[in-house]
Amino acid sequence: MPPAERKSLPARFEPGDRVRVKELPNLYYSRTQMYVRGVIGTVAVCTYTDLKPEDEAWSRDDAPYEQYYIIRFRQKDLWAEYPFDKDTLQTELPDSWLEPVTA
Amino acid sequence: MPSRSDLKRLYDVGAQLAPMTHQQQDWPYEISPDAYKAYLQPPHDVGGQASGPSVFEEKEEELWELNTYVTCEVLGWKGVWNSEERRRIGNNDLGASLYYGFPYYGRWIWAAARMLVDKKHISLMELLEKIAEVKARHAAG
Repeated sequence: MPPAERKSLPARFEPGDRVRVKELPNLYYSRTQMYVRGVIGTVAVCTYTDLKPEDEAWSRDDAPYEQYYIIRFRQKDLWAEYPFDKDTLQTELPDSWLEPVTA
Repeated sequence: MPSRSDLKRLYDVGAQLAPMTHQQQDWPYEISPDAYKAYLQPPHDVGGQASGPSVFEEKEEELWELNTYVTCEVLGWKGVWNSEERRRIGNNDLGASLYYGFPYYGRWIWAAARMLVDKKHISLMELLEKIAEVKARHAAG
């Protein structure tokens, strides 16, 4: 079945939204880097919908697709001693790993 | 049969792979919360970790590396595994020692064979017999 026809969970975020990466434990597998967990970033792009890595890695092909986003972080928020204010780092994460930031 | 001195050498090399922080901790033991998190961190999540200097070497892929690449891709096209299973098995399930110890495509081919056994496409004994057969053929020239 082509991805467009797949059942997909609604996207909770759009470009410009502030999001925090969830602080879930590591067990068996992850694609969410340790250094972004608990850190607040900004949604730069909504990319595509797909299985989340935790499902695809065990061939749970009937699991719902969800939205992936490119999240932009300030380097200074990620690395305590990072010297430059304006530098950013982008990485791609699925909806499940993000939570909204209010205020 | 390996000579007894060859066997001793293998054991000695294996002992050197134990982490520097290793202590006799099978029983009784406890580990700190930091150590627990570090042990459970997937080996491929290396961003932010310190690393030593490495030599940049410009070279083409070797034949075994290209063969490994094609084998893994064909298994993907045939639907035997998907890209995330490949990453899980080849980056994570092999453990830290093999992740750091094997070359890049060595991890790929380890993962491909492991997956074929896990999914019952081949049995482990069939795989072992085949590896031994190919080794013997190769040694005979």
